Amino acid sequence: MSVATAPAPAPPRAPAAPPPPPSAARSLAVMVRWGLRPLRRAPLVWGGGVGALCALMAAMWPSIEDSMADLMQSYPESLRTAFGIEELTTVEAYVDAEMLSLVIPFVLGFFAIRSVERAVVGAEDRGHLDVLLALPLRRAVLLVGAWLAAGAALAGVLAVAWALTWLVGTAAGTGISAVTMAAGFAGVWPLAMCFAGLAALVSGLAHRPAVVTGVAFGTLAAMYTVDLVGRLSEPVEPLRWASAFHWYGSAVHDGIDPLHVLLLSGAGLAMVLVGALLFERRDVR
Amino acid sequence: MAPVVETERLTKRYRRGRGIEALTLRVERGEVFGFLGPNGAGKTTTIRTLLGLLRPTSGTARLFGLDARRDGLAVRARTGNLPGEFAFAPRMSGRAPALAERLQADLDRPIGELSRGNREKVGIIQALFHAPDLLVLDEPTSGLDPIMQREFLALVGEERARGTTVFLSSHDLDEVQRVCDRVGMVREGRLIAVEEVARMRERAHHEVRVRFAVPVHPEEVAAVPGVEGLRVEGDGLAFRAVGDLDPVVKALARHPVCDLEITHPTLEELFLRHYRPAEEGR
Repeated sequence: MSVATAPAPAPPRAPAAPPPPPSAARSLAVMVRWGLRPLRRAPLVWGGGVGALCALMAAMWPSIEDSMADLMQSYPESLRTAFGIEELTTVEAYVDAEMLSLVIPFVLGFFAIRSVERAVVGAEDRGHLDVLLALPLRRAVLLVGAWLAAGAALAGVLAVAWALTWLVGTAAGTGISAVTMAAGFAGVWPLAMCFAGLAALVSGLAHRPAVVTGVAFGTLAAMYTVDLVGRLSEPVEPLRWASAFHWYGSAVHDGIDPLHVLLLSGAGLAMVLVGALLFERRDVR
Repeated sequence: MAPVVETERLTKRYRRGRGIEALTLRVERGEVFGFLGPNGAGKTTTIRTLLGLLRPTSGTARLFGLDARRDGLAVRARTGNLPGEFAFAPRMSGRAPALAERLQADLDRPIGELSRGNREKVGIIQALFHAPDLLVLDEPTSGLDPIMQREFLALVGEERARGTTVFLSSHDLDEVQRVCDRVGMVREGRLIAVEEVARMRERAHHEVRVRFAVPVHPEEVAAVPGVEGLRVEGDGLAFRAVGDLDPVVKALARHPVCDLEITHPTLEELFLRHYRPAEEGR
């Protein structure tokens, strides 16, 4: 006959000094890793998608190269100036005009904004922050970690897009420059991170994901418009300095300007820090 | 030694709707404190304010003698939390073999693929695995089957034996009755009563059913001090005996008794007595 016995009760816990909360640096490293988990396929999906489009543009270049000069002449000069397409004589300039001046900043700006929004307000909306913020974790670390994770994922997306463009461009015999294209793609990073910072700032105030994405992406579109109109209209021109796209410029034509990179990334980081202060003070729903 | 949980006129008002109002309570070390109330009474608001997720409108909340918000990091390092609706990154899985085995939780599968009950088990594990000094549990057994509910309540008992303080919000009166030392009742954002479970039951009325061998006039029993709500049930009488039972027993003993049943009310009955007047007054 067997006798069922209850498990022995656990011994009373000896009074001990409370465990110190983890350091901010350690928490930040964990949160960046945590933030990267849902983004681990992004380089393949977003980088692959954007890269395929850029690669298509590069692959088309040999077939349209000869007619490009005539096509450019048919455009009004102001339009050529506005879109920075005065001289489309190289494959790099063509990819820049077709993709890097509008499509990629918009698409990857949206990616960076959504990455931050999903990790903060999106997680709040899904009820995940009730678990996460009941841990010894500063809200500021969560926000900065989300921004850094978005930055790391964005770097991966840009690297894949650049690699695809260069590989296909080279295979198509365009003589595409790896260095020039790398500068072009790298220039998108600070621009997108500036708007990711804006998303973090709005996350410090708003509870709804749609509000965060809407405000940040709306600002991106508005800034693009101000920069574009400022090139065409003298009265609007002085406002261009307030547009991130003015500082984005064209790394393919002018190379990377470290000051502009610093300005855009610094603005992004500053907005993250302000957002962190606001996030610390608000309710989590 | 400072109480593990201490609130002083803690108030949280929302722009739309009620939160909690001037809530003052203390939970001592090693105590299992049941926090009872119907849906929308303010239980979750209290817990989320204690955990620093909500800013109090006024008043203070202190855990381990520290301010719940200002010293939030130190407080949360010693606290395990199971939210009412446990939701977490759906692709996450985890490791905690001993607890997982005991609760029969599958930690290899992503959380998003688990049933509500199994997600709840993961929630319990994440609240317990770092051996916290304070466990805050918001309706912890709502998704568990009866066997797992029993296992969970056994776990709570073991945690108490280790000196862990437990703050358990629930509207399952049976589980509160089984594990809690004291219970606080919250209604419409206000704490209306805090009592030891044992004392509450002692102080409570008794349900009495009696059958006599000879006919006894009901009014004779109704006139006994402490007898309330007398009703005739078949050939017997049933009533509530409030306060000291001795005069009631002596009064009944004047007649030949065939059958006598004296029972304690459940916590549910006590709970309903607290709430019924307000509900009836509406």
